[in-house]
Amino acid sequence: MSKLSLVRESARLIDGSQASADAAYEADVCIVGSGAGGAVTAAVLAAAGIDVLVVEEGGYFDAKDFTMRELDVAPKLYQDAMQRTTADNGITVLQGRAVGGTTVVNWTTSFRTPEDVVARWKERHGVSGFAYADLVPHYEAIEARLGIHEVTVESMNANNRTLYDGCKAMGWSAEPLRRNVVACLQTGQCGLGCPVNAKRSMLVTMIPDALDRGARVLHHARVDVLEASSGQVRRARASLLGADGKTPLGRSATIKAKTFILSGGAINSPAVLLRSGMSDNGKVGVRTFLHPVIASLGLYDHPIDPYAGAPQSAASHHWKDRGGDVGVFFEAAPAYPAMSAAALPGFGQAHREAFSHIRTTATHIALSIDGFHDGAPGGTVSLRPSGAPILDYPITPALWESFRFSQKRLAEAQFKSGARRVMTLHDPPLFLDRPEDTGAIDALRWETGALSVFTAHQMGGCAMGDDPSSSVVRSADLRHHTLQNLHVIDGSVFPTSLGVNPQESIYGLAHLMATRLAARLTG
Amino acid sequence: MDRRTFMKRGLFGGGLLLLGGTGLALTPTRASVALPGALRVLSPRTFQIVAAIARRVVVAPDADAATIALAVDGALTRLPVEAQEDVNKLILLFENALGGLLLDGRALPFTRLSPEAQDHVLERWRDSRFVVRRTGYQALRKLCLASHYASPASWASLPFPEPTPVHEPYDDSTMGTPEWSRAHGVEGPL
Repeated sequence: MSKLSLVRESARLIDGSQASADAAYEADVCIVGSGAGGAVTAAVLAAAGIDVLVVEEGGYFDAKDFTMRELDVAPKLYQDAMQRTTADNGITVLQGRAVGGTTVVNWTTSFRTPEDVVARWKERHGVSGFAYADLVPHYEAIEARLGIHEVTVESMNANNRTLYDGCKAMGWSAEPLRRNVVACLQTGQCGLGCPVNAKRSMLVTMIPDALDRGARVLHHARVDVLEASSGQVRRARASLLGADGKTPLGRSATIKAKTFILSGGAINSPAVLLRSGMSDNGKVGVRTFLHPVIASLGLYDHPIDPYAGAPQSAASHHWKDRGGDVGVFFEAAPAYPAMSAAALPGFGQAHREAFSHIRTTATHIALSIDGFHDGAPGGTVSLRPSGAPILDYPITPALWESFRFSQKRLAEAQFKSGARRVMTLHDPPLFLDRPEDTGAIDALRWETGALSVFTAHQMGGCAMGDDPSSSVVRSADLRHHTLQNLHVIDGSVFPTSLGVNPQESIYGLAHLMATRLAARLTG
Repeated sequence: MDRRTFMKRGLFGGGLLLLGGTGLALTPTRASVALPGALRVLSPRTFQIVAAIARRVVVAPDADAATIALAVDGALTRLPVEAQEDVNKLILLFENALGGLLLDGRALPFTRLSPEAQDHVLERWRDSRFVVRRTGYQALRKLCLASHYASPASWASLPFPEPTPVHEPYDDSTMGTPEWSRAHGVEGPL
């Protein structure tokens, strides 16, 4: 089993799409979701000898399936095949959906949760169940297992190097990133599943670890509801899905367990609770926070080839603290054909013209750090009539201000890095030929639908905290305040966004909480 | 496009949706491409409208409107059923001559306009003061572009090279074993 090539053959990897009848399972612990939170939790609990069943709505796919073709991969690995948006279509939401979750398609950027963020959670959100120092050994364990290491400046592709050099030239701090890769062949395909297993995602680390220690993974199974009585969750009911990963087979799985853990992420974990009638008086599915992203495109006289090499290897957090304004941080984004074509503004010949320059175009992005200001509402997860979740995410005036600010700063850095022209993703775009002209950015339309806004980072919605009136789970063990055998272990417990890419924050917190839970369950 | 959002954006948006959904504009849609055998989300009418939109949105040597519309139909199968319904309504709203007359000064459905007039409609939606028109334009534009450029058939004219299959030096026969982990400086299994 420890050989990756044998994972697909494991008898404990159960494909719900192949079920010929309703199914019933029992386990000590049922984990809903197999991404950053669920996979780490499963591996830690299974290593402690606990009988674990992971239930995942997506399918199991491995490197052999990762063809580097969006047409093949997007339906397998992304929610809504990369077409998920917020309720008003204002923000495109990139989120994974497969065994391994978003870790299969993320761009490998690895940050610990900033120490000041953990301190703020304690001070402002009643998160007293752990301190940063408690997380450190768990980050270290994850970093060792996932091969997380800092890349060199020399290894950056031109897309990232222009960001790094431009920020440095502006006098801003910038740093090489840490990535969870080993023996990376620089295919640039992280976002479509690593075709050579160089990315140390959950798919190739914690999922095989959990299977090795006896855990079972039931995939193509969407948990519809949890059923509770007398303060305990008694069972989970799931719909088994067809091979397309979406259409219900008309068959169900019932899972009985002593402990249930939701690890579906910031949109799907609240959705399971809402479908189960566990809205917790309106505390579930609120204060969902994204890092909304806008982009700046720089046109250079030399090749950028943004599809090749590590998608992300540089960042600048110089503007993360902006006093009373929303902070931002800067990274780069890769180009895949369909994703890039959709993101580029315009239609007809104008679009084709912009697309024709993609080989010499650098895409730099600004991520706004939402949730840290008084009155920041965040988003709200609710249910469609079919039960599918939908995220309403108003872009507040404070966020629009952060977008304008970022657009100007990114343009300045692009020019410093040698761009001969800079364009925005407004439709129609603004083209700037001189750094002195960035003031024109203020005159652009900063309204929903007037420019492309994205996100790949979803947080919150099941906030942790010590006050049951303002949080869903306790911070010491991420146990639900009233349902005594239900935990939530994923990015939905964060009371704010993070100001960094979230994967390692989820890994570290899950490792800590799963270690505590294992001790309690086996003690 | 979500009905709840239409309603939240005000009666104007909701009223337009009703107009589009109930087909008060009587001028029929012009069919310009042959229908494929089976559609999964689009109706025969919305298929024709998407093909007409694709013809103006996607300019590439190998772009074929019917092929793109069929790919859009496939892409839409991945959305929740409510979103599928809303996209069909949005497409009808885009086609609607009555709505076009009120907002764009055109008396014909989109599919019956000249190419130049069709571009003008796209621009009117793009530049609209109503968020539902701006986001609707973006949704239709992105669907057509992503559906075309996701297809390997489009890659002969792509402005960047086709992703190259990895042939070597990739070998997963020992990957994941403790020996492999030691050799690559990472911790072995938990």
